Amino acid sequence: MAETLGNLAVGFGVALSPPVLFYAFVGCVVGTLVGVLPGVGPLAGISLLLPATFGLDATRAIVMLAGIYYGAMYGGSTTSILMRIPGEAASVMTCIDGYAMARKGRAGAALAIAAVGSYVAGTVSVVALMLLAPPLAAFALRFGPPEYFALLTLGLLVLAYMSSGSMLKALAMAALGLLLGMIGIDQMTGYFRFAYGIVELGDGIGVVPVAVGLFGLAEILATAGQPTPPEIVKPRLRELLPSRQEWRESAWPIGRGTVLGFLIGIVPGSAHIIASFVSYAVERKLAKRPEEFGRGAVAGVAGPESANNSATSGAFVPMLALGVPSGPIPAVMLAALMVHGVSPGPLLVTQQPELFWGFIASMYVGNVVLLILNLPLVGVFVNLLRVPYPILYPSILVFCILGVYAVNSSVVDIWIMLVMGALGYVLRKLDFETAPIVLGVVLAPMLEMALRQSLAMSDGRYAIFVARPISGVLLAGAGALVLLGLRPLVTRTLDWRARLALAAKGEEHP
Amino acid sequence: MTLARVCALVPCLLLAAAAAAQEPYPTRPIALVVPFPPGGVADLTARPVAAALEKVLKAPVGVVNKQGAAGAVGMQSVATSRPDGYTLLLALSSISIIPEADKLFGRPPAFTVDQFAPIALISADPTILVVPADKPWKTAKEFIEDAQKRPGQIAFSSSGVYGTLHMAMELLSHAAGIKLRHVPYAGAGPALTAILGGHVDALASGPAVVLPHIKSGKLRPLGGWGDKRVAALPDVPTFAELGYRGAEFYIWAGVFAPTGTPEPVLAKLRDAARAAVEEPAFKAATDKLETPIVFKQGEEFRRFFEADARRLGEGVRRVGKVETQ
Repeated sequence: MAETLGNLAVGFGVALSPPVLFYAFVGCVVGTLVGVLPGVGPLAGISLLLPATFGLDATRAIVMLAGIYYGAMYGGSTTSILMRIPGEAASVMTCIDGYAMARKGRAGAALAIAAVGSYVAGTVSVVALMLLAPPLAAFALRFGPPEYFALLTLGLLVLAYMSSGSMLKALAMAALGLLLGMIGIDQMTGYFRFAYGIVELGDGIGVVPVAVGLFGLAEILATAGQPTPPEIVKPRLRELLPSRQEWRESAWPIGRGTVLGFLIGIVPGSAHIIASFVSYAVERKLAKRPEEFGRGAVAGVAGPESANNSATSGAFVPMLALGVPSGPIPAVMLAALMVHGVSPGPLLVTQQPELFWGFIASMYVGNVVLLILNLPLVGVFVNLLRVPYPILYPSILVFCILGVYAVNSSVVDIWIMLVMGALGYVLRKLDFETAPIVLGVVLAPMLEMALRQSLAMSDGRYAIFVARPISGVLLAGAGALVLLGLRPLVTRTLDWRARLALAAKGEEHP
Repeated sequence: MTLARVCALVPCLLLAAAAAAQEPYPTRPIALVVPFPPGGVADLTARPVAAALEKVLKAPVGVVNKQGAAGAVGMQSVATSRPDGYTLLLALSSISIIPEADKLFGRPPAFTVDQFAPIALISADPTILVVPADKPWKTAKEFIEDAQKRPGQIAFSSSGVYGTLHMAMELLSHAAGIKLRHVPYAGAGPALTAILGGHVDALASGPAVVLPHIKSGKLRPLGGWGDKRVAALPDVPTFAELGYRGAEFYIWAGVFAPTGTPEPVLAKLRDAARAAVEEPAFKAATDKLETPIVFKQGEEFRRFFEADARRLGEGVRRVGKVETQ
């Protein structure tokens, strides 16, 4: 412990030196921007700026790239809350309750809670990263395809069990998402599936155009279709800050989101978006009044926004401790280190202590910078809502198209977004939730790949899923959940879903 | 427009074309297309190449990442672009694999190899065979003998089906008469994660990526695919030394132009590429990445490229369509 503190002191010496501080600041600002712009996510931001880091030394380069990464998680919530457009994929869940809060005039509170939640999650998870990286990384590596398959199955069941409203509709949407996720090159055989000769479809349907289309475009279309223009919610200064009750309601979700996000983040191959989905589902399950979810529950903002931030630190665990890329973003960052002649791997901590500890310390500093940067911006961003719709919405549309195009420079992605926008509009009219589609698109390729890799490992024997301890335990959990879901059929008690349906009926027929 | 007018126009156009051809190349910025995302091997090779070319040609050379479909999107775009020397391609070995795979599946090919004029080979990195250090095999011979005894039991990870790391293993399997079990992953990064986690038994990989894990004692190198031993691993024999012929394999990077690019432009680009790899800044950049510069141009590169394409084409056809559970 004393050694850790000593190392950390060295790290802060590096992180607080003016040039490193400057690049951390630049990274945080760029990250926030990348997060705010719809479509452009941290991967696109880091990829675009990677060449610019080649002239820097390794520490400055990695500090700046990391700043973009976790900065994007801060910024991603902004447009989700204000306009129901996910700034980056991991903020999809924030669209639901964050936007509902904004419609109730609590946009400032939602933004502030998202920022503070991100700060707490960011800082706490860096402590975890610092103290627990080596043992956790060794554990994370034990997640091979069978474990991953079991984890995803469990996750899907948790989400299905906790979806609101009609279970049938939610499952139909998840199935649609899974089907869309099947498009593209079959990674196991090289077949093009449902690509119809369009080479770009070989990579499948990306989550960014789907999320921006289903949430953002659909919202714009729906607003345009209203007979009377929606009232402009003019925020008053007094209402910018969360109330005492809102703080109380978000304290535990922030804590749980932090732990969940970190644990999901360390598993190689998983995405932040899954961390935020699971956190949302857990919060709804634990809430005293789950019927408030979807109508502006603070916990529905606090949990997912904390989870996607701490997942970032979690993703650094295998990268720093073992030199193993846990996802596309850490992979680009590892490449950045290699360009500077630093070989990332288990020996990094001992061979490059200044880089390692400087990096850790810069994450503490960066999170403070982001909080200072984001809280005053709440006031600025909220004022965007004063812009009249005829000006605001067309400009958003332009940003959506630019952002989605920027990710892959692909016109096909714009078409996907437009089609998803139209689909999202129709589904909204018919009262379907669209979040499960996004989840399906994300999960389908991962789930399929993990299943088929497992079977390739075992030569087709399904026993591999129960024979391996971690996947066995996870699948047992999934089985228990299925049984729990069947309980109401047997005991005839009303669960909250049924109560919710009754309440809705009561509203319609007073 | 009357026929007479058209006839009058033709000589003018020809004159204009001739004037354009005589204009010293290059007069405007050149795009070096990388068909993979930033941060990958191709991208990291392309950036110092572009910087060095820029110095030699005295015109801006910009790297354009056009990723998608394992490189097919970017390669196709260069194949069909105007052959004027202003659109170049930095491609990896997969340029000869993709058309073969298309043929195998009876798809209209995204592009064919003869749509490209080779300019220069920049680097060629032989893959090396690594196994987890806790596995019993100490030498390539032990590994291969065990694989012969248990066909289809030893599993290896790869960067993807028909990908470079899969092909390297396939060439070795064919040369040694063994059958291994293939578990494809989405990219070289996840394939490395899989072997470090002990989920597979072997991996063919570029040396730079696995060196830290060899040094830390997690992985054991058994053999190399090159015609020479890897400088950083002088004790690891090549498969050719061990008597496995025809397994030679490199992850190489080369610069191409669309076929039809005028010969003077190609000649200028070849000279520029030679000067570029001799730039000290370029050498420093590739040293850090531990990628050996292997420069070949003109006829020499064409022979290398054609031999490589033949080996890979045979490999793809031998693998055939993959059936999975």
